[in-house]
Amino acid sequence: MTAISTPEPAGVIHDIGYRHYDGARLGRGHARVALTRHSLRGAFGLGRSFRAKVMPFVLLVIMLLPAIVSIAGMALAQQRGPVIDYPNFAATMSVVLAIFLATQSPVLVAPDLRFRVLPLYFSRPVTVGDYVVAKVTAMSLALLILQWLPLTVTFVGELLVNPPGDPGTGRYLASMVLSVVYSLMLACLGLAIASLTPRRGLGVAAVIAFYLFTTAVSQVLTEILGSMSQDDSAGWALLINPFYLVDAVQVWLTGASAAMGNSYPGGASGPVAALGIVALTALGGAVLILRYRKAASA
Amino acid sequence: MTILATEGLTKRFPRVTALDTLSVTVTPGVTGLVGANGAGKSTLIKILLGLLEPTAGTAQVLGLDVATKGAEIRRSVGYMPEHDCLPPDLSATEFVVHMAQMSGLPRTAARERAADTLRHVGLYEERYRPVGGYSTGMKQRVKLAQALVHDPRVVFLDEPTNGLDPQGRDDMLRLIRRIGAEFGISVLVTSHLLGELERVCDHLIVIDGGKLLRSSAIGEFTGVTQTVTVEVEEDSRPLAARLGELGETVSAAGRLLMVKVRGPETYDAVRDAVCDLDMSLIRLEQGRRRIEDVFRGSAAEIDETGQAGRTHETTSAAASGGVTV
Repeated sequence: MTAISTPEPAGVIHDIGYRHYDGARLGRGHARVALTRHSLRGAFGLGRSFRAKVMPFVLLVIMLLPAIVSIAGMALAQQRGPVIDYPNFAATMSVVLAIFLATQSPVLVAPDLRFRVLPLYFSRPVTVGDYVVAKVTAMSLALLILQWLPLTVTFVGELLVNPPGDPGTGRYLASMVLSVVYSLMLACLGLAIASLTPRRGLGVAAVIAFYLFTTAVSQVLTEILGSMSQDDSAGWALLINPFYLVDAVQVWLTGASAAMGNSYPGGASGPVAALGIVALTALGGAVLILRYRKAASA
Repeated sequence: MTILATEGLTKRFPRVTALDTLSVTVTPGVTGLVGANGAGKSTLIKILLGLLEPTAGTAQVLGLDVATKGAEIRRSVGYMPEHDCLPPDLSATEFVVHMAQMSGLPRTAARERAADTLRHVGLYEERYRPVGGYSTGMKQRVKLAQALVHDPRVVFLDEPTNGLDPQGRDDMLRLIRRIGAEFGISVLVTSHLLGELERVCDHLIVIDGGKLLRSSAIGEFTGVTQTVTVEVEEDSRPLAARLGELGETVSAAGRLLMVKVRGPETYDAVRDAVCDLDMSLIRLEQGRRRIEDVFRGSAAEIDETGQAGRTHETTSAAASGGVTV
């Protein structure tokens, strides 16, 4: 093989020539982890411009505000329990979580669609399933950070302040498990909606519209049915809001109080809500798989 | 050894037949895949990558069947798509490192390979800036780098010279030649311009309407008839007449004369004729015949699309290969 001399810019003294790579070639699992990591960094704007970091970090700070208020409150009033009880934290802060989901889901999926990066993934060992799993995992982890951080800060604060009474360890642990359910369901829904359009702005609007629509419909129906004294139906109407689905399951399983002073209908509502969560998550996942299967062959 | 082989490969879309019982074999080296837009080049590459399923027929890459061994093929193949495929907010380095990891390289190795590969394609300090601010030429280099970063055994380059100016086109073609010759990676490169592939390919496949028009080594295309291009400062007609008298076959192309080379005596004849007529010789250039000429007739449509590229070809060939007196 002869080296063909090419004009080199000043400063490069010699070309050591092409070297073949004979190191390790890892499997799809490695690629999945790398894509998850890459997407998670993207969700918080790490490695991107300053502008990309503003939104996720502002929302993270807002999520931490109740924790600070709770710790201060417990220290001053010497009373047990944060302002928002642990298991009710996500449902109470649903607006912030929804905004994060709306602004960051398109960040994870839109560029690959819009700038047609997908063929580069699918011409590698990465499969559609790997891609979807990595994206959902990354978004779920981002949402988990948003919940686990304030929950844990509050709990550590409670232990340090140590006001009279028993610490809420059980409720804290339940909330940690609960947030996994929230994260997975929201990630699947948010990414599925965002993946339908290559435009980021449109994706943000679509996810927010979905949240506002379900919230508004459930709220209005609950109010109307409540004013007609049909309390049972009013309770069912609450479950149109995906956040309250998880909250209803929480009430069913732990027997704790509901978020925002809601009262869910007794009896079947818990299992029905659990089924609803599974159905919504599966629906989101299926939409994602179908969407990317179509994109892969396009 | 065979890099890839197809047998009766057919792909029908609801409204068009993109590939029609195509059977080709590609050996190591640089292979050009030529055809007009819509001839089925991109479809063929997508089938070879296992991204599209053929309607009928079989295809093998590196001896692996695309229908069953798609994952294994994708591990040892690099792909540079025709269209833009770069997210603008990432730097070239970050993007290529990421793509190396997607091919299974560990993180440290991915970094080293990305730095090496970007250097080989000619991206230096600018590789730390977001890709969004790059010129078309630089973007093409990043696209090429991501196809090479995992040191594949074969790369499929889909229209790599698309949208480049003559200089960028030359750089890209030189790079492709290096990949084949120096890096030892087999290349399948598509273009709708016949002329530009002649300089870099060992083998050429011409398809039209999804059908194979011709597949043969580059020498068979251009080696048959050698010509020498002669340019003189004065009117070239007397020279043409004189050469005709000396028994040479001459055709005029504008100010230039194309003289068919019979043997070394042709060059002597040109020299003597120019001396006798007391003319000033500007250029005496050994020119292989354009591939378009070979295909005139059988691929008239391709020839038409080839015209656009020929202007560039002539100027650049004159700049690089011309003998100026």
